[in-house]
Amino acid sequence: MEMTLSPTQQAVLDACTTALGRAAGPARARELRSAGGADDRLLTLLGEAGYLDVALDEESGPLTAVLITELAARHLALAPVGARSLVAPAVIAAEQLPEFVTIMDLAFGGPVRYAAQSEALIVLDGHDARLFTAAEYTTTAVETLFGYPLARVELQGGGVDLGAGSGDVARRWWRVAIAAEIAGTARAALDLTIDHMQGRVQFGKPLSALQALQHRVIETHVLIEGAMWMAREAAYHGAPAESSSSAAVAAVEAAGRTLFEVHQLSGSIGFTDEYDLTLSSLRLQTLRTEAGGMAAHSRALVAGRWGA
Amino acid sequence: MHFDFSDDELAFRKELKEFLDGELPVYFEFFDLPPEERAERSMAFVQLLSERGWLTPAWPVEYGGSAQAPWQQMILAEEMVAHGEPRTGQYMNVNWIGPAIILAGTPEQKAYHLTRISKGDVLWCQGFSEPDAGSDLAALRTTAVRDGDEYVINGEKIWTSNAGIAEFCFLLARTNAEGRKQDGISIFLVPVATPGIEVGDIESVLHPGAFHHVLFTDVRVPASCRLGPENEGFSIVRTLLANERTGVARYHRAAGYLDRIATWCAERDLLDDSAVIETLASARAACEAARLLVYQVYDEKTRGLDPDVSAWAYRTAAVRAERVVNEAAFTLMGAEGLARHSFADSQFEWAVTAGVAGGSYEMQLNSLARVLLGSKG
Repeated sequence: MEMTLSPTQQAVLDACTTALGRAAGPARARELRSAGGADDRLLTLLGEAGYLDVALDEESGPLTAVLITELAARHLALAPVGARSLVAPAVIAAEQLPEFVTIMDLAFGGPVRYAAQSEALIVLDGHDARLFTAAEYTTTAVETLFGYPLARVELQGGGVDLGAGSGDVARRWWRVAIAAEIAGTARAALDLTIDHMQGRVQFGKPLSALQALQHRVIETHVLIEGAMWMAREAAYHGAPAESSSSAAVAAVEAAGRTLFEVHQLSGSIGFTDEYDLTLSSLRLQTLRTEAGGMAAHSRALVAGRWGA
Repeated sequence: MHFDFSDDELAFRKELKEFLDGELPVYFEFFDLPPEERAERSMAFVQLLSERGWLTPAWPVEYGGSAQAPWQQMILAEEMVAHGEPRTGQYMNVNWIGPAIILAGTPEQKAYHLTRISKGDVLWCQGFSEPDAGSDLAALRTTAVRDGDEYVINGEKIWTSNAGIAEFCFLLARTNAEGRKQDGISIFLVPVATPGIEVGDIESVLHPGAFHHVLFTDVRVPASCRLGPENEGFSIVRTLLANERTGVARYHRAAGYLDRIATWCAERDLLDDSAVIETLASARAACEAARLLVYQVYDEKTRGLDPDVSAWAYRTAAVRAERVVNEAAFTLMGAEGLARHSFADSQFEWAVTAGVAGGSYEMQLNSLARVLLGSKG
């Protein structure tokens, strides 16, 4: 057991942090919010630097991919880093990996994140999965408050069968990716909230000095930390059914708590377009619902743990 | 970063678990026993552990340990609590009273106390809390006044666990009333049978013998009972309290209870009910989060770091896990959980005390806030 980064992992993350610092962040997220769409420029940059394929690298593996997913979310990347770096390599041959890929599960209705921007769609159908190219489905954009481009999907073609059991495999990695994305996104929202609390003086002292508020921040912080470590451990062990769903359950709970706490603690400025909070906070609502949300993650966890 | 236990660690857990499974009844709770019987059975059991080198594995060899890595200590903590914590109060001896003596003891104190603790033939209690000094421990008023080669101790301790069966008390007393209140506290290793010490039970709804008050009236102890330099006791205790916060693997015990609740539900065909599923899943995830946060504590210990911050975070998560599992127990089992010594009832006692025993939950939040929010709170 070793909870610190190896020199190799540290070097990869340092370099990735630099890249994300230049190409992602609040200004870019704000720009994309105005323009609509997703950050295919960032995805290309990360892909060319090899960050999206680290799961396939023997030394780095999925653990490094989950760290990158978490990091990208923390930098407000508006691109399917988790789907591409964690889920797709688990079910698609390395030489056929599309650059921009997203996921939907036929078991659940509702709009799909990045569907209109993707060049391919992994469609989960029970235990199995199929890969659809963009030519094999149509999309209808859905207006949303919640931070990501969403669209309803209508499948046209038959897609390519990804093999028996591929749906189960993809679903497990999807949960790990969601947990990592929530951990990174929630951390960004909480960090900004702490900055606000340290600078905002009321009753003669900063909000960060008020014990009643401190406790809420700390409880939220601990929920996020727990989810983050659970995602990392699940990735390291190859996304087992139990621990991947457990990570997702913890993350969804952390997301729910974070979303409302950061807005409560930030006050009215937190709702405004001029302030950065909604660039992270509102995404949490989308991530909470993905892959069937709490109900589906809970079913998977109970099945994985107690065989129900 | 990796999440594998070594072959040695896995073998240690397997051997330990097999031993405990063979020696102890399933679902046995030592804390349900009357105090004297609990002490007797616990003493007998820890001597078996000592013979196998499993009582103080993390201690240096010269003090009766086997200098095992902190991870062995974590495995020990998990397996012990999964088997009803047969060490009872002795986990305290092993986890931080012994290490305090290793850190600050004289050669004579080390020779006497560490030998006895590592052999498992002594019970201790912890003389910390007072009627007006709980979370604000440094406000304690019990005094120890130097008189020649002795100290004279006067004061009152309260909420003291195991005092009725302990042979020694790890006592904090004020030796200087001047200056910062933290700077005037010393530690004394006091035999509970010393004249002038009076131990009384405090009846409570918790397990038998959970609480005592301990009165000190002109108690004379030799100066050789003092641990470490005079007036520097508080810093020694602070250094070692991270061990106390992680000493009981609460998440592991709570997760075991949750398994029993799930089995109870499965036997009644309740595991396809969505409310049951979400209740169980939420509780399981809370236990898992606490487990990973305590791993961070042990990782930092392994690297020789001070794990204060991670221990506060772990404790916060562990208290939540205890409470969420309690909620699951009573939500799912309903009135069945009200029966004394049902496992929901036992879980309640663990859950309701989780945020109080070993330092209040809010103190952990305050301490973390000082680090994360940069305020004195």
